[in-house]
Amino acid sequence: MSELLIEIKDLECNIDNQKILQGLNLKINKGEVHAIMGPNGSGKSTLSSVLAGNDNYEVTNGSINFLGEEISEMSPEERSWKGMFLAFQYPVEIPGVSNINFLRTALNERNKYFGIDSIPAKDFLKMVADKSELVGLNNKLKNRSVNEGFSGGEKKRNEIFQMAMLDPKLSILDETDSGLDIDALKIVANGVNKLKSSENATVVITHYQRLLDYIVPDFVHVLHEGKIIKSGDKSLALELEKKGYDWLKTDENI
Amino acid sequence: MIIKDLNHNSLLKENSKLDLEALNLGSFPKRKEERWKYTPLRFLKKINFHNQFNFKIEHLNSLGIPKIDGLVIVLENGKFNSSLSNIIDLMDIELLFLNDGDIVNNSQEPSHKDYFTNLNFSFLTEKVVLKIKPNVNINEPINFVNIISDDNCISNTQFNIDIYENSKLHIRQYFLGSSNSKDGFINHRNQVSLKSQSSLTIDKFQDLNQNFNFCNEFIDQEQESKFIMNTFSASGIILRNDVFNNVNGKNCHSELNGVFAPIEKQHFDNHTTINHFVADCKSFENYKGVIKESGVGVFNGKVIVHQDAQKIEAFQKNNNILLDDESKIYSKPELEIYADDVRCSHGSTTGRFDEEALFYLRSRGISVKKSLELMTLGFINEVIEKSNDSEYKEFVLKRLLKD
Repeated sequence: MSELLIEIKDLECNIDNQKILQGLNLKINKGEVHAIMGPNGSGKSTLSSVLAGNDNYEVTNGSINFLGEEISEMSPEERSWKGMFLAFQYPVEIPGVSNINFLRTALNERNKYFGIDSIPAKDFLKMVADKSELVGLNNKLKNRSVNEGFSGGEKKRNEIFQMAMLDPKLSILDETDSGLDIDALKIVANGVNKLKSSENATVVITHYQRLLDYIVPDFVHVLHEGKIIKSGDKSLALELEKKGYDWLKTDENI
Repeated sequence: MIIKDLNHNSLLKENSKLDLEALNLGSFPKRKEERWKYTPLRFLKKINFHNQFNFKIEHLNSLGIPKIDGLVIVLENGKFNSSLSNIIDLMDIELLFLNDGDIVNNSQEPSHKDYFTNLNFSFLTEKVVLKIKPNVNINEPINFVNIISDDNCISNTQFNIDIYENSKLHIRQYFLGSSNSKDGFINHRNQVSLKSQSSLTIDKFQDLNQNFNFCNEFIDQEQESKFIMNTFSASGIILRNDVFNNVNGKNCHSELNGVFAPIEKQHFDNHTTINHFVADCKSFENYKGVIKESGVGVFNGKVIVHQDAQKIEAFQKNNNILLDDESKIYSKPELEIYADDVRCSHGSTTGRFDEEALFYLRSRGISVKKSLELMTLGFINEVIEKSNDSEYKEFVLKRLLKD
């Protein structure tokens, strides 16, 4: 039996008093790749925000158990220290803060939490060099302000670069394929695959089957109206590509 | 270098107290006057100032500033403190200390008369004059440290800087209040004269703790001269800077930058006036306010392009971040243009940090406190970067971030 990483039970959540997630259940074991698909407005991005701890979303019911701990009231930074990572659909620009300084701060904040010394500059730079190679991130981008003036593809590569630096237990990729051309998609997917291990898991949130050709999921889930209405293996994604979502919606209604 | 150290005779009688409002120095500024609308002078008015000049500081490093090399001129509580100073012999520089009677004889009438100028001239206790000969380029910064370390002490000081033709100088000014003193007041005046093709950069750092600091600054520029002043305001009950930059010759460069970061009801006020009297000059202003915990910031920048001053390029901006609902900024960028062929712009923004950006940083494991610090750093970096000394930059940043 593989080891349980996260278990989401009956999760309900609101934004501005509007119910988005309505009793979502999901279990992910270490070493697995899960894809979450679903029509617009089904709650995919909400799920990723809630897991990362965005306090614009209010959890009204249910639980999120991450590595044996209830995390639904935990701050985003603490979740990150424990191994949660969200690759943003729209990475945020932070003017004036260099990518390098940002990452060094992130690693040192985590070290501080675990009572470990700050990472020596030399080791940090070596790590930056190794990890940026993984997604072919241009050297210049590392010293530029976080995401400022990056192209869509560069922003997404930067997300995976950060993922590589932080080495999370659970990575949630929120529509990482959006805005990527085929070449960039391959590079990003390749990076994600290289980071995969028996100790971590990946959740891929996507609209399209295409990304799943490169990041092959063990499970595919369909989200609709804040619930998972169907789960299957990778063939489900192909079926969805052909048939759309409507047949599932009616199925559920029956 | 020529040093004239003259006798210290106190202008004021011992044990006299200064009641600012009772002095016969013209009318005390009122809040209904536009220039004084926001400055809470009531905090100054209620203090009875004295002028017993004691030296209390034993080492400069007790004031939290990094070690300063080179020429260091220290005034403490309104008097030149020779034991804290480091008066090294620099050729090409003439340094004079004028006190008391000499000041009276040497002082020209102030061109700009307001209450605090009158106060400064009437009760002046130390005037430092620094002259740099023509065709000299001095790379090492010259340091001017002005300390208040005695409760209720009023310090009226002046610093005259004359840069002759084709010379270049860098000055660092520190206005400091010792952490265990309160209600002291440095009422200072800088008078700068830049001859043609000369260049001066002033980095000015204000860290007064529980004391007050007003600076009246007058800069006159002849043709092809370059003046840059970076003002970093870290702490003080009230800090107020009134800069009057007169550009009298063609092809000049004038640049005023600043970061002000008031917290806990501190009030930091920057008033600037750039007068473009002649054509073909450029001026730049960039002030950043970071305000939190009921701090108050004021920016009032005025650029005046006089008639016939054509081809002027003048850019002025003030950006502010308010970190909470209790903090305030009064921002007023002003342009007065009487010429018709100019490129000028001015602008002011005030906002909060982006919630999405905060979440992004936190999701990478950066605490709220550190995230705000990073974003603040990002916000003010553009101005901090104007200084090219990394040790100085780091020190200024630390104090501005109250780290």
